[in-house]
Amino acid sequence: MSSSQPEQNHIPTSKVQRATKFIGTGAKVGGNYIKHYAKKMVNPSLSKEELHTSNAEDIYASLSELKGSALKVAQMMSMDKNILPRAYQDKFTMAQYSAPPLSYPLVVRTFQKSFGKAPEAMFDTFTTSAVNAASIGQVHKATKNGKTFAVKVQYPGVADSVTSDLRMVKPFAYRLLNMNEKEMDHYMEEVEEKLLEETDYKLEVKRSTEISQACSHIPHLNFPVYYPELSSERIITMDWLEGDHLKEWLETNPTQEARNQIGQALWDFYHHQVHNLRQVHADPHPGNFIVQDGVTLGVIDFGCVKEIPEDFYRGYFSLLKRNAHLNEAELDQIFFQLDFLSDLDSPEEQAYFKGVFKEMMLLLGQPFHTETFDFADDAYFNQIYALGDRVSRDKMFRNSRQARGSRHGLFVNRTYFGLYSLLNQLRAKINTTKPDWLK
Amino acid sequence: MENTDFNTNQQAETRNRIINAFIEHVLETGKPPVSVYKFAQSLGIPEEEFYSYFTSFQGVKGAVWDRIFDETYATMRAQEVYPSYSAKEKLLAFYYTWIEVLKKNRSYLLALYEGHADFKKVTPQEVRSFRLKFKNFAKGIIQEGKAEGEIVDRKYISDKYDEALWLETLFIFQFWLKDTSVSFEKTDVAIEKSVRLAFDLIGRTAVDSFVDLAKFLYQSK
Repeated sequence: MSSSQPEQNHIPTSKVQRATKFIGTGAKVGGNYIKHYAKKMVNPSLSKEELHTSNAEDIYASLSELKGSALKVAQMMSMDKNILPRAYQDKFTMAQYSAPPLSYPLVVRTFQKSFGKAPEAMFDTFTTSAVNAASIGQVHKATKNGKTFAVKVQYPGVADSVTSDLRMVKPFAYRLLNMNEKEMDHYMEEVEEKLLEETDYKLEVKRSTEISQACSHIPHLNFPVYYPELSSERIITMDWLEGDHLKEWLETNPTQEARNQIGQALWDFYHHQVHNLRQVHADPHPGNFIVQDGVTLGVIDFGCVKEIPEDFYRGYFSLLKRNAHLNEAELDQIFFQLDFLSDLDSPEEQAYFKGVFKEMMLLLGQPFHTETFDFADDAYFNQIYALGDRVSRDKMFRNSRQARGSRHGLFVNRTYFGLYSLLNQLRAKINTTKPDWLK
Repeated sequence: MENTDFNTNQQAETRNRIINAFIEHVLETGKPPVSVYKFAQSLGIPEEEFYSYFTSFQGVKGAVWDRIFDETYATMRAQEVYPSYSAKEKLLAFYYTWIEVLKKNRSYLLALYEGHADFKKVTPQEVRSFRLKFKNFAKGIIQEGKAEGEIVDRKYISDKYDEALWLETLFIFQFWLKDTSVSFEKTDVAIEKSVRLAFDLIGRTAVDSFVDLAKFLYQSK
């Protein structure tokens, strides 16, 4: 937790500013249409594809400046549809509310509202400035009776801005993803629900405690202890974990063995959550993990937890099974159940999408197909990106106005996507355990 | 301001009684009393006695504002960390404490001030004393900020800083009156952001460097 996000001065923070940003984008997109039709007069063979590409670029560019929930939405939508060009992916993994730090008097006020006491009255020491930025708050370091705590204080007004941010991003998301409103709302609800959950710190404490207890047996994994009596809707108090952020740790050139150990801890952590607990830390962002002495992985943020419903779980993971011995009828059933296909599709579309999804699941399931898997294999990741690129450029995919994939898939995909890319960064070789029924 | 003199003590008490009764009247009926005569009657004092404390209801309202300031100031100074705050943090602390005190009087304030189209026109009389006190406080902060380099001394303009902060105070008050968010979180955000802006403006900015360079170029011609 030692690296701090640099203060960014130019992020549009107020609603008006953000709205202006969107208006700017709207103007640009409009401009693209004009350019498109101008070009088309000269060159009638010009396809709409090119227009989509330039639109997407402008929208991404403005979204990436926005941060906040708008960005999170863009990030998740695009990840799910796999249409995100690789260049943008790096930008989006930074998704955070990069609000300027809270002033200390406001921190004091938040404490007073929650506990009726100032931070100094609750701790022996308390840093007046934030030591780190969390996704929707900031972290202060405190001590009491010789123990060190990390105290996370939420930015006020975040919960309010979630709903208004989403309302603003919607029209652009429709255009960007070429989806109709009804289809999109089905995802938006899920996203909004999750984002609002993230602002509920009481829930986070409860879940963190539950999951960390349920995962305490996993080797090389460490969780801070959470203190409900020192936490509230806007404040979380937990143990301060000493260690390096994943990225910093990787810069110290750890041995292959160490990297495997961390990677394995990560894999085991997710394995246990997904297959046994059926609720999962759905934000495998490098900033949420630190590496501690003894090559132990510390998990520090449980803001986003996705509960996985049983029927979704069965369907989704049976697709990842090696040589899934599924006949066409069973496959169809799963595809329909997971909302990959719908009754509104033409037979031609159904055949096309079935092909695409089969290929995708086969690729994503690869680590599950062998006993061990080397995530350092960049070729594998390039294959995933290439498939994403190819599909997103396909006319068939572009023109389909259906939302594809169940709403639960949104966060489960995001989780696995994040997990894979973390393991790739770790360049770890993993013993890819799986539940018996998937073997 | 302790006074042991019996007479003044009783005077202060009557004064307080008038203020309290006025607040209560506004709370109960949603508006100020119709006349001083009726108001004094309900208090059981002759009308002329009222005038020995206040010249009109305006004066009573002003006294309520005064109380609010005094309570804010005292609460704020009682905070342990207060002396170690920078000028900006002191102003923030003032506003956060202030709206906490305002909250206790929200119904009263809403009854009197909600729906005023131009707030600035209504208030000067009533808030004169509050304003003076605030400006004194603000001047102190500004001086401190200048000494610490947090605030830049600019000819002519920096004399008006306290006035600018007063306008900000009015802005915050109006924002708070209209705020409907849970526990007035939005007002918190408004305070945080407006104070940051204010200090960005009165602190060293690009304009200062520009003026500095321009001056240098002009002088070295």
